[in-house]
Amino acid sequence: MLLFREGSREAFEELFSRHHRSVVRFAWRMTGDPSAAEEAAQEIFLRIARAAPTYLPTAKFTTWMYTVARRATLNYLRDTKEDGEKVPILSEGEAEDGVYPVQLPGPGDRNPEQVVWEAQLMERFRTALGELPEGHRAAFVLNRGDGLSYEEVAQVLGVTVQAVKTRIFRAREMLLSRLSKDVSA
Amino acid sequence: MGCRDIREAISACVDGEASPEEAASVREHLASCERCRVLERQMRAVGAGVRQVRGSVPDRFREAVFSRLESEGALPKRKKVFPAAWRWAAVPLSAAAGLGLFLLTSREVVRAPVPQAPVTSRGETSAPVAPVPGSPVPVPAVSPAVPPPSTQGNTVALSTEDREMIALLDILEDPAAFDANDDAEGMDLLAPGDSADSPNRPRGGRSGA
Repeated sequence: MLLFREGSREAFEELFSRHHRSVVRFAWRMTGDPSAAEEAAQEIFLRIARAAPTYLPTAKFTTWMYTVARRATLNYLRDTKEDGEKVPILSEGEAEDGVYPVQLPGPGDRNPEQVVWEAQLMERFRTALGELPEGHRAAFVLNRGDGLSYEEVAQVLGVTVQAVKTRIFRAREMLLSRLSKDVSA
Repeated sequence: MGCRDIREAISACVDGEASPEEAASVREHLASCERCRVLERQMRAVGAGVRQVRGSVPDRFREAVFSRLESEGALPKRKKVFPAAWRWAAVPLSAAAGLGLFLLTSREVVRAPVPQAPVTSRGETSAPVAPVPGSPVPVPAVSPAVPPPSTQGNTVALSTEDREMIALLDILEDPAAFDANDDAEGMDLLAPGDSADSPNRPRGGRSGA
């Protein structure tokens, strides 16, 4: 990024090659729509390029990149009428006893992190993810999808580590609740 | 600690972000709570679900991004190897440079030192004579005792003495030259008082033969 700031086009091409898949994936997970994801991902790279003259390496580049990416997707979602803080879906489906009547791949005898989900369940999951409040979705996606630590997620979102911990836990509960409702419906 | 209070710590444990104290509490709780063990596996499963939402990079995504960046002027221009005016001259200039380099290196090869073969009196060069075991020591084509001939430009100026010496050495190299018929048949043996134009002069073969 510093080389690009000094006028190296090749540096930006290298940066694009390294990160464009992550950016597209993040935009896809945040918007849940292919064309919206492409539009948002293009906007993310435009913002990165525009920000180059004032870029200061105060944090890891990826942390800064996801900060830009999150703001770009947030703006995009606001422009497309998403309010960013939806009413939590947990109010109806919360399992007071801690058990959700949902059949997910893995919770039986297999490793849940190595099981490929069926298309139908995947579709339901994508819908449920899109219904999370934006702040919760961003925290969950950045941590579980892009591999950022709680601390890095906190930097991206501008909140405390404890807030990240709570958001991710709430995101999990909401997803399980929503998928449970789909199963029982 | 009750189930409701420990769920957030279970979530952090699943992400590998729990403190040592929290992790110990979670392990202790899970050991005795079947419901929370199920919840812990469900939490892992939804985490894995996010990674399976991958999407794919759209076709021509790169072109679209770079096109927008260039239209905004947000991207430095690609550096050109040749200025526009010289672009068409690049190929012939490169070819000429390559040819020149080839010629230079070729001349270098010719200039490399080559063993000089001795010059015989006939103007021929002969290969250096290697000693043959059991045979007399070969006579060098040019005796070291003979002072090096003076040169004028590229031609070798030989004195009369040098020429005689070389002729003798040729004979020593090739004793058959004494009896060479070709030379003898070509000779005119003249008796005193004869002239080369005399009609009585015998021709062909040795006199008296």
